[in-house]
Amino acid sequence: MTQTRSEYRGQIHKRQKELMLKWYERLDEAARTGTPPTAAMMISGNCVELLEGFGAVPLYPEINALQMAIRHQSLEPILIAEELGYAADNCAYVKADIGAYLKGLTPADGKLPVPSLVLCNFVGCNTYIKWFEHVAELQGAPLYMLDVPFLRTDDPSRADIDYVIKQLKEVVTRLEEITGRKFDLDRFRQAVRCSSRVEELWSKIKHLAKQTPSPFDAYFDAITLMGPLYVYRATPEGVEFFEIALKEMEEKVAEQKGLYESEKFRVVIEGPPPYPYFRTFRDMFAKWKACAVASTYSTVGGLWEFGARHDPAQPFEAVAMHMLAQNVTNRNYLQRYEQIRRYVEEWNAQGLIIHFVKSCRLFSAGQGDMRDYFTKTLGIPTLYLESDLEDPRYFAEAQTRNRIDAFFESLEHQTLTRLHQEAR
Amino acid sequence: MRYAAGVDVGSTQTKSVIMRDNGDGTPEIVVRGLVDTGANVQKAAEHGFHQACREAGISAQQVGFVVGTGYGRYKIAFGNAQMTEISCHARGAHFIYPNTRTVIDMGGQDSKAISVGAEGEVLDFVMNDKCAAGTGRFLANAAEVMGLSLDEVGPLSLQGTRPVKITTVCTVFVESDILSYLAQEKKAEDILRGVHLAIARRTVSLARRVPLEAELTMTGGVARNIGMVKALEEVLGVTLQVSPDAHYVGAIGAALFALEKMDQSFESGIWRGAHATGSGH
Repeated sequence: MTQTRSEYRGQIHKRQKELMLKWYERLDEAARTGTPPTAAMMISGNCVELLEGFGAVPLYPEINALQMAIRHQSLEPILIAEELGYAADNCAYVKADIGAYLKGLTPADGKLPVPSLVLCNFVGCNTYIKWFEHVAELQGAPLYMLDVPFLRTDDPSRADIDYVIKQLKEVVTRLEEITGRKFDLDRFRQAVRCSSRVEELWSKIKHLAKQTPSPFDAYFDAITLMGPLYVYRATPEGVEFFEIALKEMEEKVAEQKGLYESEKFRVVIEGPPPYPYFRTFRDMFAKWKACAVASTYSTVGGLWEFGARHDPAQPFEAVAMHMLAQNVTNRNYLQRYEQIRRYVEEWNAQGLIIHFVKSCRLFSAGQGDMRDYFTKTLGIPTLYLESDLEDPRYFAEAQTRNRIDAFFESLEHQTLTRLHQEAR
Repeated sequence: MRYAAGVDVGSTQTKSVIMRDNGDGTPEIVVRGLVDTGANVQKAAEHGFHQACREAGISAQQVGFVVGTGYGRYKIAFGNAQMTEISCHARGAHFIYPNTRTVIDMGGQDSKAISVGAEGEVLDFVMNDKCAAGTGRFLANAAEVMGLSLDEVGPLSLQGTRPVKITTVCTVFVESDILSYLAQEKKAEDILRGVHLAIARRTVSLARRVPLEAELTMTGGVARNIGMVKALEEVLGVTLQVSPDAHYVGAIGAALFALEKMDQSFESGIWRGAHATGSGH
């Protein structure tokens, strides 16, 4: 079988690079001049809209960590953190971020600022508590621990929503004190309106992957779109970016252009990617002309394809609801099962790939049961892979390739067998 | 007469099988060849294949199609296609025992469980992850530390009546466990019985993730170890089918695919030998 690479490079990839570069330039400016103010946050269930009310810029340690991994620069900071005493199976994002800070490594040319506020929204991931405490301590930055309760029922209770709103208002007060700027409620409302629009556009893009062939890969290409989604969602630039993206995808659908000349397999992927081997991993799927039509990782920031939107009429409640209920990491496993089941059925996928991330208990605990549920209860072919999202030491290339090859061979053989049986 | 070959380049040994199409849709094994893989994978594959051709009394040119499998499959320069050993073991086991529904394959570095469909197609599979516990390497280390050959440890383990408990699942640390038991003057057969049972338990817990349906066939190099077969049967509570060709099952599967790919019947879904009754044993 010849090697195939998927090389879809549209306007969006170019524009994404420009936007992300601009973001790093603003962070560098903040590092040099102290303006604009910045806040470090977790991607999942972030409240970037609130920052817009101060003209503040988000700083995502996760993005810094993954950018280093994708550039094959994550091992050095990981080892520095391990020398400090972090254990081998601690979250590798944490270690890469802490190690990079100590070593002065940044994913871009410029510097990263000491955040005006370390805003720990540990939505669904307790590891962030210790991570952000350490970040705040090392950098001497003020810390606000935004306690978003785990979703214990399908929908959050009124008390949970009010509890989060109360804290969001405390964050506003803290940021007013720290930045010396007055919170601009109109700008906050405008930010929530932008988010709502971006969510609508992003949702439409994701639904286009239901087409055969799918115009893009909803795992690998979705990751390209996720940067602007988290950094620029609440801004007019974000709206413009996603309008361009939707138009580009709609044109591809109209021309029946898929990711590959002939799409052969459609799969759903669960779990974050192995960033240190991102290209290698992607090519393992490209070889089989296998397109991910949906992914759970693309919903860590928000789960909008099933209808959730920030409501501009109630901006604080909208942000609270988003943090509580509309991102995959704060939801329970049965909800994740249902999400994946819908992807397989409604996006017409033949199988599920589970990528177990050794250093991420948040995503990976319970994935063995998940595999059982999908293979044994639903009869959906499922492949289970193990490596890591940040630590290159856990990626065994030959073994991973072997499993992926075997999985697609088995799908191919099952189809041939079925055709032969039908012909008999 | 048309010939096709399967070459299974494993981590320890390279297996070559040449099959013949008798013209009536029933493939037949002509030759089975075995060489050590060593450091040069490509050389091992070539050497194994040409040796098998010589034994079959045919030239390499008479072999119409070669399918490579195993970890070294992409290094087989003379091969026409590659297929994973998962597909090949399922196919080969089904050829030998057509009612096989589960294959447990234990090789030098891999152990895997494969759920097999009625036509020999893979329905599901699980493999050990980045750890050699539960593989041939674990046994090889145990044998080495006890000063025994790999061929001796299986039969000797069957004499053990009071198996020791091996708590580690680490191929490296098992040596310390064994040394500690030797220091306590435990009998070699009891230590070995403990080692075999430890591997069996680990393999079975892996295998239970696929539907463990009868009939179960064990394949791979470790299937030649009678102690391992018996330990697995004890833990599973069922009898395993073990062919004298267990070591060659991957290469047999590859050769079957090669026969089909040679005349493109594979692409039309006609899997030859899917209903064969055996391979001449």
